[in-house]
Amino acid sequence: MTQEINLNSLKELEREVILQVLYRDQKVQNIEEERIRNLKTHLQNLRWKGVKSTDQDCRGESCARCQRALGLLLNRGAVCRGCSYRVCAECRVFLRKTRAWKCTVCFEDRNVKIKSGQWFFEERAKKFPTEGKHETAGAKLLQSYQKLSKISVVPPTPPPQSENQCCGQTGLQELGQFKGFNKSVENLFLSVTTHMKKLSKSQNDMISDKHRLTTGHRQSAGRTERRSQSDTAINATRKVSSSDILISLNQEDPKHSPDPVLKQERVSSSPDVCPLFSGDLRHGSLISINSTCTEMGNFDNANVTGEIEFAIRYCFETHSLEICIKACKNLAYGEEKKKKCNPYVKIYLLPDRSSQGKRKTRVQKNTTDPTFQETLKYQVDPAQLAARRLQVSVWHLGVLTRRVFLGEVLIPLATWDFGDSATQAFHWYPLRPKVRPGLGLPILREPHPQPNNGTGDQPSLNGQLCLVVLGAKNLPVRSDGTLNSFVKGCLTLPDQQKLRLKSPVLKKQACPQWKHSFVFNNVTTSQLKQSSLELTVWDQAIFGMSDRLLGRARLGSKEEAAGGTDSCSPSLQWQKVLSNPNLWTDVTLILH
Amino acid sequence: MTDGDYDYLIKLLALGDSGVGKTTFLYRYTDNKFNPKFITTVGIDFREKRVVYNSQGPDGSSGKAFKVHLQLWDTAGQERFRSLTTAFFRDAMGFLLMFDLTSQQSFLNVRNWMSQLQANAYCENPDIVLIGNKADLPDQREVNERQARDLADKYGIPYFETSAATGQNVEKAVETLLDLIMKRMEQCVEKTQVPGTANGGNSGKLDGEKSAEKKCAC
Repeated sequence: MTQEINLNSLKELEREVILQVLYRDQKVQNIEEERIRNLKTHLQNLRWKGVKSTDQDCRGESCARCQRALGLLLNRGAVCRGCSYRVCAECRVFLRKTRAWKCTVCFEDRNVKIKSGQWFFEERAKKFPTEGKHETAGAKLLQSYQKLSKISVVPPTPPPQSENQCCGQTGLQELGQFKGFNKSVENLFLSVTTHMKKLSKSQNDMISDKHRLTTGHRQSAGRTERRSQSDTAINATRKVSSSDILISLNQEDPKHSPDPVLKQERVSSSPDVCPLFSGDLRHGSLISINSTCTEMGNFDNANVTGEIEFAIRYCFETHSLEICIKACKNLAYGEEKKKKCNPYVKIYLLPDRSSQGKRKTRVQKNTTDPTFQETLKYQVDPAQLAARRLQVSVWHLGVLTRRVFLGEVLIPLATWDFGDSATQAFHWYPLRPKVRPGLGLPILREPHPQPNNGTGDQPSLNGQLCLVVLGAKNLPVRSDGTLNSFVKGCLTLPDQQKLRLKSPVLKKQACPQWKHSFVFNNVTTSQLKQSSLELTVWDQAIFGMSDRLLGRARLGSKEEAAGGTDSCSPSLQWQKVLSNPNLWTDVTLILH
Repeated sequence: MTDGDYDYLIKLLALGDSGVGKTTFLYRYTDNKFNPKFITTVGIDFREKRVVYNSQGPDGSSGKAFKVHLQLWDTAGQERFRSLTTAFFRDAMGFLLMFDLTSQQSFLNVRNWMSQLQANAYCENPDIVLIGNKADLPDQREVNERQARDLADKYGIPYFETSAATGQNVEKAVETLLDLIMKRMEQCVEKTQVPGTANGGNSGKLDGEKSAEKKCAC
């Protein structure tokens, strides 16, 4: 069974046919996974209902399932054979026509085991203990095929870890569309962008970034931003995706626990999630794979057109914020070729992007002018509102449960007048493309040589500093007007230890855009405070002559080492980087 | 059939020599149609069908109804796809092992398919139904019912003579297999969860079956 199967030995047409089958299978699998997640969520809800009893340590006095008090003589309850908890008569399920019973949780547990096919995986694991427990042959084939085609599709080193985590979706799409490089790059870009967004801070930043970004840079930016993902970022990706892609992607880690409690902890330990809906915090991670995918950028983009009509109301008595989604019109087709569009609306109260902060409407089939008439509610303190932005996005639910982004509206609630009846009425809002945050090209004001360092500096828990060197301008060029330039990065630690990294050489470009990420591992924040980062730009020499230094710039604590302008001294910028761990800081440096 | 509104996803797989009628059998089952043309399956394919399964109590009384989503994998019988198709054996919960009643050779190969199953299926003794197809062609018949039934008994699996052309026994064969799987499912869970409770009689029967099948496997 461990034999390598792949599609290479087949004729091209045959491969096509089989791939189509595998995609269809993938679709079936996706639906199945979602169903299983729902089953497990349900079970988890049941469990949590009874959680209090252990806290209060009165197991013997109240039903372990419904918390109802148990009497001394009447309704004493009985001990469940499965879990050994005492439960009341209401919380028992009798097994088919027998007198044996289990408590609701044990019964549901058994149900889930059957309905999720877990029995099958367990049986199979007995026979093939070394193989991935849930992975199907189809998924495996697709993956191996994807890896093969990857080599030709994406030239620069993609990080292997995140690859494995999102290949289920990204890879598939690449295969499916055969658009090769550009398409995949686009995806990668999106996958990182949305992640960045998580890290990003305020609306102002995002908006200004939007202005800075030009479409020309978008695609190539994606490539390197992908590479620029720091290990923390990758870990964060893992956190979410591994908990959600329960079934198919566990081959990497057979011991990976599907225990939902564990997952919950992982998710809530993520620093960027700021749950405000405490009521259902616990179920958060279990609820949706899809939004994880879309939040991770695993989606397609349509040309954004059309408008959405909704109303926002806030009830000060009940602290409930109601968003009534009425309709959309003139939406773009989610699948332009097939003229297909199955739209639905998703909302968040930014910056909370956790799944418990998500609300969705139903999916409307085959329409670009859907009517929803659904009210989505939040419980929010009035004080919290000012800090929130309402994000209303429209999505197309495509084949392979793929999501296509159809547009969004962002409404800062700080300035929203909830007392005014006019603002509470329905309005049409034009849909807009995604705001692309972070890592843009910083605005260039200085006229002289400078590398633009979109420096994503992230002193993380593991102690890591990431930066992405975007590009440089106005470099002293050769006589033919070009350069074969590259960047060296050198981080000097307090003990004078130097960590050096180098970017690839960009040939024949006067204004190189390396968009290369440097990751310095194992550096702590305290070390960084006394470290300095030197970036040097070089022109690669031909025939063994020494490379020509085009300029150098420093970021760091030591003022004397830094050659800065008055407006943004490198020392101040370094401080800014250090005081914003896990956030990307845009930096533009002047070369000397 | 794109929503997750079902209780079980059951994956079945049809296997057997090329041309025994696996594809037409499944087509008959899912769409209740017959396509007399022979189009060789490229590697693998699958069809889907939603059915309602009525679980039966031990006393034969009808119990709860469940929605079952069947994923019926169709495999190429051709030798050159063998490594591909056998890779899919491990994902199936039950097997429709088919031969052609008008081809002695396809019947002789059942033994080989059985050993393929034992090597590649999810467990040593998976649920299998033996199916002799093309029962609508009695004048071309090369395999008699006695022979086939003996073989099936030897393996301890049910046997059906079917016809994709007329639809004879097609549903029955699949439903029997589904029934076997649903029972196994329950037993697997009971076994692991509550050892030796009310279902003692049942699990005894399972053990009996198991040992019988294992014997034949050798």
